[in-house]
Amino acid sequence: MKLKFKEHSSQYNRRAILSIAIGTGVGLIVYLIFLYFHIDIYGWNLGLIFAPLAAGYVETIAAERLIGEDIGAISAFILFIDTTFYSFILKNPTLGFNIITAGSIIVILQAAFPTLINYILLVLIGGFLSGFAKSIKSFERKLKTRVENQQTFAWETKDERMNDGQIHYFDEDESNAKLNNLGFYFLTSTDMKDRAHNTLGIFQSEVIIEKDARLIAMDAEIAEQEKLNMIKTGKDECLIKLADKIQDYGGNGIIDLTMNYTLIGMSGEIQITAMGMGIYIR
Amino acid sequence: MILTSSNTLENKEIIEYKGLVTGESLIGANIYKDLFSGVRDVVGGRTSRYEEEIQKARDISLNSMIEKAEKLDANAIIGLKISYDNLGGTMGNTILVTAYGTAIKFE
Repeated sequence: MKLKFKEHSSQYNRRAILSIAIGTGVGLIVYLIFLYFHIDIYGWNLGLIFAPLAAGYVETIAAERLIGEDIGAISAFILFIDTTFYSFILKNPTLGFNIITAGSIIVILQAAFPTLINYILLVLIGGFLSGFAKSIKSFERKLKTRVENQQTFAWETKDERMNDGQIHYFDEDESNAKLNNLGFYFLTSTDMKDRAHNTLGIFQSEVIIEKDARLIAMDAEIAEQEKLNMIKTGKDECLIKLADKIQDYGGNGIIDLTMNYTLIGMSGEIQITAMGMGIYIR
Repeated sequence: MILTSSNTLENKEIIEYKGLVTGESLIGANIYKDLFSGVRDVVGGRTSRYEEEIQKARDISLNSMIEKAEKLDANAIIGLKISYDNLGGTMGNTILVTAYGTAIKFE
C-alpha cells in the first residue's frame, strides 16, 4: 500500500506554520510564567506539562480559524523539546528522572502524538502482561520440577545416600564383637556367686547425642533409622567409656549394669547413661 | 534360647559368660497415622493399636538381642532388662525400646 500525501497550496502551508508558531509562542510564554512564579511541586515545575498543553490548544484553535482544520499540535511537541532541553540539560537542576518525570513525559508525548503514543502504550502494556504471565508459568514449572525431584530423591535414593555416607551406617555384628572382645565382663546380673571377685564401687559413664539438624529435612522413616543408628553408636561409646573407667581402677568387669536413655535440653539432645558395680574377677 | 530377668537359672549351671547383648528399636514415624485407622479400638482407656505397636517394637528389640546371643554361641540370656523411653519427636511420639542382658552358656 502506498501512502499518498495531501498536496496543499503555499498559502495553506504558510498559515499552518503560522498556527504552529503562535502555539509555540503561547507555550513559551506559559512556560516563562510558570518559571517566573516558581509554580512547581517538589521542585518539579508544572510548566513542563501546561506549556505544551497550552501550545497545542492555541495551535489547534489558530489552525481551525486560519485553515479550517486541526494540524496535530506540533507546537506541543516543540514545546516538549524546548522545555526538556532547558530544564534537564541547560539549567541542569537537581531534579532527576523519576516516576513523575516519566509520567509527565508520557503525558506530553501523548498530547503531541496521541495515536502513536496510545499504540505504543497498548503494545508495551500488552507485552508486559504477556511476559509477566509467561514468567509466572515458567516459575511454576521450575518449582514443580524441583519439588518432584526432591520427592524422588527422598524415596528412591535411600540406599545411595547410605552408601554416600549421608546416612550413618551401623553394623550390629561389628558392634557386638567389639563390646565382647574388650577383655571385659559386662554383666546385667546383680552378682557372680559362682566366681570369686572383688567389688570396686559404683561406676557411671554418660554420652550426649546432639540433635542432628539434617533429620528435619529427611523423610520421616529415614530420619528415624538415622536416629536409631546414632543411639546405637552412642550406646557403644558409653559402654566403652565405662569399661575404660573401671579398667583404670584395676577392674575387669561390671555387674548390675543398667542403661538409661533420657531426653534432655530444649532442642532434643539424648543422654545415654550406663552405670553399675565395678568388679575384679580373680 | 532361655530368657530370664533373674541372675541364675534354676537347676542349671552357668559354664561361661559370653558377654553383653543388646537390641534397640524406635517407633514413631507413622504411629499416629496408624492410630487413626484403629481409632475404634480405644475402649475403656486402652488403645489396643498403640499396644500392638509397642509390642512389635519390643519383639524387634528382643529378636535383635537373641540373634546376637546366638552368634556368641550362648543358649540363655540372664539379667534381662527392657526399657521404654520417650525420645520426643514432632508430637512426643518417638519411643525407644531397648532390651539387654548377659548372654551365657549353661549345662
